[in-house]
Amino acid sequence: MKRPGPLLTLLAGLVLGLFLLTLNATTGTKTASSSYEEKSPSPAPARSAASTAPTPAPSPSRVPAADADYAGRTDDDAAAIAVTVRDDKAIAYYCDGRAEESWLRGDVEDDGTLRLTGQHGAKLDGTLRDGKRVEGTVTVGGGRHAFSADRATKPSGLWRATATVRSAKIDGGWIVLKDGTQVGILTRDGKPSPAPAIDPETGAVTVYGQQLTARPATP
Amino acid sequence: MTVDPNAATQGFPGPGRARPGPHPARYLVPALVAAAVALALGVYGKVHDPAGTAFNLAGFSSTGAVKSWLATAAMFFALVQLVSAAMLYGRLPGPAWSGRLHRWSGRAAFLIAVPVAVHCLYALGYQTYETRVMWHSLLGCFFFGAFSAKMLLLRSERLPGWLLPVVGGLVFAVLTIIWLTSALWFFRTFGVTT
Repeated sequence: MKRPGPLLTLLAGLVLGLFLLTLNATTGTKTASSSYEEKSPSPAPARSAASTAPTPAPSPSRVPAADADYAGRTDDDAAAIAVTVRDDKAIAYYCDGRAEESWLRGDVEDDGTLRLTGQHGAKLDGTLRDGKRVEGTVTVGGGRHAFSADRATKPSGLWRATATVRSAKIDGGWIVLKDGTQVGILTRDGKPSPAPAIDPETGAVTVYGQQLTARPATP
Repeated sequence: MTVDPNAATQGFPGPGRARPGPHPARYLVPALVAAAVALALGVYGKVHDPAGTAFNLAGFSSTGAVKSWLATAAMFFALVQLVSAAMLYGRLPGPAWSGRLHRWSGRAAFLIAVPVAVHCLYALGYQTYETRVMWHSLLGCFFFGAFSAKMLLLRSERLPGWLLPVVGGLVFAVLTIIWLTSALWFFRTFGVTT
């Protein structure tokens, strides 16, 4: 055996790569989110923030959910999911970044549960946990996924852009996760494809040569 | 001999004439390993569901920033590679330890690039939705193949003198494009942040 150095270099790279991959696969998501927790402004518990909600509660016992954005992934890592709550209404977006997406809408119950529905029988059952995260299950395209979405602050959260480009109807949805990763799908005349990245600061995105602006999606 | 020894590394089908020279395996094995590595990375990136999130380093605002700085460090070592290689080939005056400098800066560049690639493949996958992204994905996979070939070729003796500089130069050029399409883009888009 002559010159083992190059082989050792390759082996070291391989071992390092496999090690990091294992680390990612086992602890990745948790570490990423925990390292960011300090950055998000400590979310006020849903109950206390309710007093600042613009719509007055019809009855004294009724406690509206705080307006908030949530973003996260399904437990099986198959897709990203984002939920936006405004005035007791919620909109959610499920997106695997390639072909499967669903927009879901519905009301937030007084006890913090969400029952959202979308097209083609899509369904989301979730619970707000102290305004810190949403947990539950989402059923899209026949697949049922458990998910947990942590409270998100701009620019992470849910973005949407709709437009007509060269007589084609464009509908783009993006979930920007805490680490800045974007999961999005662009539907062009009903055909889904991975979406180009948006500028997380401005929402600007170039679609088929045309400049569009994605906006934070609200119910 | 049915295969022109140059065919495997040059990628051009040459006339199949027999010539005295190193055994074709000396070229074929590195070329096949390179193809296998590049293809395996690409297939993994394409088939595997991009995880979106992954491990992050403390002290950085985003994984994008971490990766851009690691890539920039790798690029720095790659420049050292270029200079030290020129020293080894006598194109630049160099110290006696330029060989060691070349070996260790290369190792450093490679080992720094590995975590970046792992994140790319694990969290983002092989994507083609933009020209920049497409070239980055393609060349990212190609780079590790070409680098493996370079390492394996180093172990062979009696190679044509031009081969190592060409493969090494290719590895350097590809890394440069990868850096331009990722870290430079990141710094221009998001600013030079940590």
